[in-house]
Amino acid sequence: MKRRAGESFTIGDEIEIEVLEVAGTRVKLGIVAPDSVAIVRKEARVTREENITASQPVGPDALTALAQRLWRQAKTTP
Amino acid sequence: MPQIRTAYLGELDYADGTVFHFPYGLPGFEHEHAFLFLKQPHTEPLLFLQSLGNSRLCFILLPILVVDPNYAVNLDAEDLAALHLAPGRQPKIGEDILCAAIVTTGSVEQGEPTANLMAPVVVNLKEQIGMQVICADSPYSHRHPIPMGKDAAPCS
Repeated sequence: MKRRAGESFTIGDEIEIEVLEVAGTRVKLGIVAPDSVAIVRKEARVTREENITASQPVGPDALTALAQRLWRQAKTTP
Repeated sequence: MPQIRTAYLGELDYADGTVFHFPYGLPGFEHEHAFLFLKQPHTEPLLFLQSLGNSRLCFILLPILVVDPNYAVNLDAEDLAALHLAPGRQPKIGEDILCAAIVTTGSVEQGEPTANLMAPVVVNLKEQIGMQVICADSPYSHRHPIPMGKDAAPCS
């Protein structure tokens, strides 16, 4: 699908996306969607998911092992 | 002196002046606004970002230059304003800001620990304000492999 500024398209019956502006490498979009549909930048979603994984508790042995391996790395790097 | 039960370092006393404020929380943890940065000798260079509001919530961080000595900070005007940093120039790591990556120990796919270099935790050291900066145009991965020494033995 190719769109110009001012043109739009729909996803299903309730979501409409309009290309508002194209400037260089950036595209400005306008989105009409129901309140129940969360609109989140991809990188924000990825970070959110990664944070939730990262927040899971880690055993003390794993922590010490990680630190030791980093420490060895630091010592062998000039 | 107030006390806190931490996820990894037991019970600790802390001074109010050592609390860092995260006005937006962290993605996925938007309601956590107050954190302490902690470290302990036998797990250096790891840093612990311990929530004050939730004793079980603690992120494991690495100073970003430990993960990538050539890491270049790239904050946009909005990020600089949100962190109360001077506009028009990039802040210096270690002088103006602390910049650290959240570590995921053994993500499901890879099994090896990774660091989120795409979205570092950045803290204004003077004002003690922090946020996780999500860099849209970042050349860095959210699952950057953590450098490991080759001679690492599993039980030494």
